[in-house]
Amino acid sequence: MATKPTFRQEISNLLYASHGDPFSNCIQCGTCSGTCPVAEFMDEPPRRLIGMINANMKEEVLDCNTYWFCASCYHCTVRCPSNIDIASVMYAVKRYSIWHKTYSDELVGPVFSETFMKTVAHNGKSYEPILATTYLFGFGAKEFFQEVQGATRMMLKGRIPVLPSKIKHLKNFQKMIKRIVPIGEET
Amino acid sequence: MANTKLLIIDDDPDYVDGIKSILEKAKYQVDAAYNPKDGIEALKSGNYDLLLLDIMMGRGAEGVMVARKINKDPKLREMPVLIITGIREQMAFLFPGQPAHPRLLPTDELLEKPVDPDLLLEKVDSLLKEAAGKKEEGA
Repeated sequence: MATKPTFRQEISNLLYASHGDPFSNCIQCGTCSGTCPVAEFMDEPPRRLIGMINANMKEEVLDCNTYWFCASCYHCTVRCPSNIDIASVMYAVKRYSIWHKTYSDELVGPVFSETFMKTVAHNGKSYEPILATTYLFGFGAKEFFQEVQGATRMMLKGRIPVLPSKIKHLKNFQKMIKRIVPIGEET
Repeated sequence: MANTKLLIIDDDPDYVDGIKSILEKAKYQVDAAYNPKDGIEALKSGNYDLLLLDIMMGRGAEGVMVARKINKDPKLREMPVLIITGIREQMAFLFPGQPAHPRLLPTDELLEKPVDPDLLLEKVDSLLKEAAGKKEEGA
């Protein structure tokens, strides 16, 4: 029967089943790191992260900010000569971190994703003023007021709705979510 | 009991080790698959008496898909399924305050992680007995 998976296999298991274990295809060419618009803010660039997953360096991978900083632009995925879906790998590591609760409490990413999902499940679409509260208080006073000022101006011009709007046929949409993740009371 | 074959489909190897040792101590023969794809293959090739299934796997709630596949297969449908999930902790933010309801899927039983070893053995035992009873009725 199946042997106990390594960290690398655990991450592979979080990808599309058809992608199998793509990490051995990595030739460490660095195209992903070179093309990544946020690489300079990452602890480890994408190329190194894949190398670390390949080497089963579980703690080092989970401790770095690389996958939380990924902007999901998919540039790395498009340009990878080995056809590795690197953006999906970033999502897989995020899932691992959330499901195993390995992230630190002050990290914005997980709370942001949670709030985003909550508002989408509730209204059928996202609502910026609620999303902003997940990161706004981490700003300095100057940036905070700049952000509030900008948001107020956009609200006055009607670019941000004052109250969250809901999509049409919201009930059907919520039923669809419950079909995918069947949780909560039976309908 | 030594001939009773159980399969665990769960992507968390440490958790699998835990439940496996509890079940093996109770003299069950336990196999494990660490992703839904391997799990389905194992179910088709092996003859299992009971399945212990995790929900949050792969790209999301892929355990749900496994359970739906099982329910569509006339042979596998006969096999009792015990869902062991931490779905409430992982996904309850979608529908705050609501517990995972016991009939999450048209499967047999649901236990929430972390599982109490005695409760696990009790559920496994009762599901196996129930399935054996049904088989006798059918024969």
